[in-house]
Amino acid sequence: MEAPSFELVVPDQREDVLESAPADNPHIRAEAFSVFYGTHEAVVKVTMNFPKGLVTAVIGPSGCGKSTLLRAINRMNDLIPGCRTGGQLIFGGENIYGPQVDVAALRQRIGMVFQKPNPFPKSVFDNVAYGPRILGAYDRSRLNEIVERSLQRAALWDEVKDRLGNNALGLSGGQQQRLCIARALAVDPDILLMDEPTSALDPRSTARIEDLIGELRGQYTIVIVTHNMQQAARVSDFTAFLYEGVLVEFGVTATLFTNPAEKQTEAYITGRFG
Amino acid sequence: MELGTRKLLDRSFTGFGFLSIFLMAASLLVILTPIFVRGFGAFVFQGTVEFRRMQHVLFERGDPDELAAEVAAAAEARAPVYRMLAEFDAELAEMGFLERREYEGPLQELRAALHELFGPAPGVPEPVMPRDKFGQTRWDRAQVKLHEVLYRVEYDYSDPTRMGVPVEVPRADDFAGTSLAQLFPYLQAHAEEMLHPRLTVYLQFLTDESQDAHFFGGIWPEVLGTFYLTLGAMLFALPMGVISAIYLVEYAGQGRMISFLRTCISTLAGVPSIVFALFGLAFFINTLRVTESKSVLAGSLTLAVLVLPTVIRASEEALRSVPGTYKEAALSLGAGKWRAIVSVILPASLPGILTGVVISMGRAAGETAPIIFTAAVSVGKAVDVLQLKFWEAFQQPTPALPWNIYNLATEHEAVDEIRHVQFGMVFTLVVLVLVLNATAIAMRARISKKLKG
Amino acid sequence: MHDDRSQPPLPSRPSPVPPPSGGAGGERGRWMSLRRRRSSLLLSARANMMRRLLTWLGSGTLLLITSSSAIVVLFIFYFIFRDALPFFQLRGLGEFLTSTGWYPTANPPEFGSLAIIFGSGIVTLGAIVLSVPLGVSAAVCLSDVLPFGARQAVKPVIEILAAIPSVAYGFFALVVFAPVLQDSGGRMLAICTWVIGLPVGALALLIIADLLAARVPVERRGLVRYLTLGSGGALVLIGVYALAQRLAVIEVVSGTNALNVSIILGIMALPTVVSVSEDALQAAGRELREGSYALGATRAETILRVVIPAAGSGILAAVILGVMRAIGETMVVWMASGNAAQVPEPWYNLLEPLRTLTATIAGDMGEADQVTGSARYHVLFAMALILLLISFSCNLASEWIVVRSRKKLGK
Repeated sequence: MEAPSFELVVPDQREDVLESAPADNPHIRAEAFSVFYGTHEAVVKVTMNFPKGLVTAVIGPSGCGKSTLLRAINRMNDLIPGCRTGGQLIFGGENIYGPQVDVAALRQRIGMVFQKPNPFPKSVFDNVAYGPRILGAYDRSRLNEIVERSLQRAALWDEVKDRLGNNALGLSGGQQQRLCIARALAVDPDILLMDEPTSALDPRSTARIEDLIGELRGQYTIVIVTHNMQQAARVSDFTAFLYEGVLVEFGVTATLFTNPAEKQTEAYITGRFG
Repeated sequence: MELGTRKLLDRSFTGFGFLSIFLMAASLLVILTPIFVRGFGAFVFQGTVEFRRMQHVLFERGDPDELAAEVAAAAEARAPVYRMLAEFDAELAEMGFLERREYEGPLQELRAALHELFGPAPGVPEPVMPRDKFGQTRWDRAQVKLHEVLYRVEYDYSDPTRMGVPVEVPRADDFAGTSLAQLFPYLQAHAEEMLHPRLTVYLQFLTDESQDAHFFGGIWPEVLGTFYLTLGAMLFALPMGVISAIYLVEYAGQGRMISFLRTCISTLAGVPSIVFALFGLAFFINTLRVTESKSVLAGSLTLAVLVLPTVIRASEEALRSVPGTYKEAALSLGAGKWRAIVSVILPASLPGILTGVVISMGRAAGETAPIIFTAAVSVGKAVDVLQLKFWEAFQQPTPALPWNIYNLATEHEAVDEIRHVQFGMVFTLVVLVLVLNATAIAMRARISKKLKG
Repeated sequence: MHDDRSQPPLPSRPSPVPPPSGGAGGERGRWMSLRRRRSSLLLSARANMMRRLLTWLGSGTLLLITSSSAIVVLFIFYFIFRDALPFFQLRGLGEFLTSTGWYPTANPPEFGSLAIIFGSGIVTLGAIVLSVPLGVSAAVCLSDVLPFGARQAVKPVIEILAAIPSVAYGFFALVVFAPVLQDSGGRMLAICTWVIGLPVGALALLIIADLLAARVPVERRGLVRYLTLGSGGALVLIGVYALAQRLAVIEVVSGTNALNVSIILGIMALPTVVSVSEDALQAAGRELREGSYALGATRAETILRVVIPAAGSGILAAVILGVMRAIGETMVVWMASGNAAQVPEPWYNLLEPLRTLTATIAGDMGEADQVTGSARYHVLFAMALILLLISFSCNLASEWIVVRSRKKLGK
């Protein structure tokens, strides 16, 4: 494992990614999408694409609505009373806020990792097997296979393979977060939403998870919300900058950080506010 | 006010606070000590030969040969007593009518007292009631009875300002000058040989059925009855309580109806226990007719209604204490709401719910009023699960510890004779309730330790 | 600088044109080939309706079960009321509430319950007089004085006191306490008089002496103080001695009386008063106390003048809950109150037996049940109705107090 780098590296290797024009291949598309808490518009008519198979970062100062936008994608905002939406969020050809959408199926295909690691107070195995069990996989050998594969994908297998029966709460913070990632991967989602996944972790665990994101890229579409611009620059292919609910700029990460189109973006990146 | 006085007032205020706490602890000690000490005495005591004889005859325990030897030894020690009585009878026959009459009353009293102490005299036909077949089974009671043999109580009304003052008069004075007068010193000197007191550990007090209205035997029917009533109460209260708590925490909004329901539940918590008793009688027995008259079922239902608010409150607290992130994580993995509750939240809150359940069990076991009219009978066979089917067992009335404590302490025919049984019952009940509460406290401590990692 | 094409920087890069079937990269095989897999996100109209129906049924069932838990109390009110009404129809309200003649088995029967209601009131009053001062000061001690370790040691005492079944208390009152009262009741009262009278008298004297001295110019202060203490001290001593002597010669006729029951009920109500008061005192907050200490007040003054007033409504709620506990208690009063339906002469004579509502219901129902439908049966429900109404209003009052205090504190 390489030593984590701490400079604002904008790898030019990523330029080849631009060949796949994002506009042609969005996995999720927001069209004038808004989220209201009561009368307050937290996300204001956002129109953007989340390209398939790539990592999209959403950055912005606190309270700008980036978490709200993220949680709108797998309809976790439904849990908040008084929350409603406007516009459309298109996934799989349908508006996910349509009347006949199966929300449970949606959430199985769009997984989420939360800011603070929240493994269930169960064993490591049961944590990862939770999702597959809901989907009907009860066969023990099947579950073993799924659990092992998920944990390997989350780069946690070697550390817990002898401790699958132990309580998940006994793992370290970084391990717990990787366990949550494994748990989300176990249901084989198409998209992985990550809400500031490393803000509660130490730098070493952060680096491991950033490496993990790099490994998962390509197999999953990843949307990551982060308040850490360097992290956005390190891991993402595309970046969206939100300010007070409005999408100020969206573009290739390298471009947005070196040569932003909007003045506001430049002000935020250079630290003049936020 | 001067600083010195203020400081003094401060100190005395603090002192009063400490005094209050000390008084609480002291009253706890004062209340529990006699219960524990004398209740323990129902299990461990000095038992006489009569006790072992009773155990052999009524419960078929003990080595017959050993017992026979002991009985013979005791009979030998007692023989002089009966011989002296027989001699006195002969003396009486020789006396004139008037003189004889003077002795007849005291003699009869003496004979009765001796019967209570030693059991039937040799040669007398076997009495019918078990309580008359044996003398005093406990040495402490025997000593009381011995005192009654040696002294009798007269009331002195000479002082007009006070009520009759009891005065003890030695019976020996009644028979002064006769051959019987030597009986009393003999009794006093040889009481131990006549009764053979020995340290006895009677653990079967808990598992024996009572014989002859608790004169002999144990308290098993009451213990079993309490067990059934408590179990039955939790059988009804637990599902209803947990489900209601789930609804109130996860599904209910804030509307008027919900707050009305909550007010109802908290009102239920404040209803006096005797009102529950009347309700149980009027509703479960007279209206719903779950059973024709008293039964374990009606009692369980009444007790369930009594503990329901406690179960709901404890379950609600346990459910609310589960971090909301678990539900979020479960939902984000595609689980439906009900599934998330049942597979993640409920298991996580189970220890807290169990704590509330155990505390409610303690409450249900100790409550008397609700079962007075709905389940409890004073004397009865234990609900025999082996013979009856389970469902039928629930339809029988049953003795129970709380009710029988009251019954034995107030309405029993020989309240003073069976004090040890009463204390034994109270001891058992208090220990049961305290063990349940201690379990709950230990569980609560383990939960808070587990939740912290 | 390496050649990007030959050595991709990332383990599995997406191909420039992702394959059409949604999944990217051959490495990750699909392992969840289950029913929701790759199917539309949409539910058919029928499935949707089924799902809505099931949700509605599900939460409806839960609501039903919860309602039964709640509505049981309405049933209780209904049934008690229903069976109490015939009594009032038969005998009216007047005799019940104003006459002290309780002769339900006489011919003609009399159902005057005033003495019984009075009995309930007196023992409750006695219990409150005992438990509120002790309970509140114990709560104060727990919340403000004792260190954490000592607090943890005292809590079990309170929990055990609360957990002991009422029939055990009643048994103790009847079998242990009553004989003691009967044998040495007068002496115990005398000792209590000394133990309470002297310290209280001394403290009161000190306060009076200080107050008087404060009104007098400085030179005279010492003199005034000594005078007050001297004369007042003599008065207190004489008074306490006289009272104690009067009490010592009292002969307690029967140990099962109002005093016995009041004391035991007070002990039973203590845990409730202590824990609810302690909660209220804790809720008053550290800032309040710190503000007072910073102004130089002693701990007692802080507590008496600042904390207790702030926690006042909570403490009032605690008292009300204690009242509820005392008035609804059955077994203790049934076993140890003497069960005499009379108003003692004079009314404050606690050494006389009396009778309470709860004990009457418990005691009489056994026989009254044989004559279901008679006034004798229904009068017991009338008494239960009184108890129910009292506890209901106490409950409402304490809840209203809590809600109001929460609003006042802005929480």
